[in-house]
Amino acid sequence: MSKVGNESALSDEELVASLQQRMDAERFGVLYDRYAERVFQKCIGLTRDRDLAKDLTHDIFLKVFTSLKQFDHRAKFGTWLYRVTHNYCLDHLRKQQRHKEVELDDGVAGHLVDDDPNELRLMGMRADRLDQVLAAIDPTDRALLLMKYQDGLSVKEIQEVLEVGESAVKMRMMRARERAMVCYHELFSEGA
Amino acid sequence: MSQNPFQIIRPTDKPPETIRKEVMSSVKLVMLLMRFVQLFMADYASSLFDKVRLLGPSDTHPKKNGGPGTDR
Repeated sequence: MSKVGNESALSDEELVASLQQRMDAERFGVLYDRYAERVFQKCIGLTRDRDLAKDLTHDIFLKVFTSLKQFDHRAKFGTWLYRVTHNYCLDHLRKQQRHKEVELDDGVAGHLVDDDPNELRLMGMRADRLDQVLAAIDPTDRALLLMKYQDGLSVKEIQEVLEVGESAVKMRMMRARERAMVCYHELFSEGA
Repeated sequence: MSQNPFQIIRPTDKPPETIRKEVMSSVKLVMLLMRFVQLFMADYASSLFDKVRLLGPSDTHPKKNGGPGTDR
C-alpha cells in the first residue's frame, strides 16, 4: 500500500502518536522495521541464546503494541523501547534462573569516581575472554555493562532506562565491574 | 590494537523474516480481539438500555401523548 510509503517518512514520535489515535498493523510494521534489528541484537546480547532472542523479540513487539497507549512522549520512543526490551529480557532471565536481585545501597555511592581501575581492565580484556566473562556473570550486571560499553549509553540515559538516580547507576556499574573482574580471575586464574 | 572488546563481541545477527510475519499476525489477532470486545461491550450496553426503563411507582405505562409532566 502507498499508505506505508508515506508513513515511513514520519518520525518515530509522529508514528506512535498516530498509532495511539488509531491502531493499524501496517503502520506498526513500519516501527517494527525500524527497530527489529536493534531489539533482536539486544536480546541476543542479554540472553546469549539466538532462539530465545527470537521468541523474546516477538513478545517484546507484541507488548509494545498492546501498551503503546502508555507511552507518554516524555522520553524518545527509542529510549522507551530500549527500556521495555531491557526489562522484558531481564524479567525472563530472572524467572528462568530464579535470580534474586540484590538491592544496592545507594547511600555509599557519594564517593564514587568515574575512573575506576576495573574499567581499564575490562577495556583491555581479550574479546574472547570478555565474552566468557559476560556469559558467566549475573544477567543484571551483564545488561548494565553492555548498556555502557557496547551501546554507549551515558549515565543519564542509563538512569532513564533503569529509572534510578545517578548515584545508584554509578554504584551498580562499579559493582558490576568488580564482579566481572572477580569472575575473570576465577575463569583465568593462571594469569591474564 | 586497543579496540573496545565490547564492540568486537557485539551481535550482528539480522532478525529472521519469520519473526516479522509472526509479530504482524499476532498484532492483527490482537486487533481483531480488541474489536470483538469493543463490539460486544457496545452491544451489551445498548441492549441493556433498550430493555431496561426506569419507572416511578405510579408510572406503570407511559402515556400515549407526552409524559407525566405534560398533563394539564
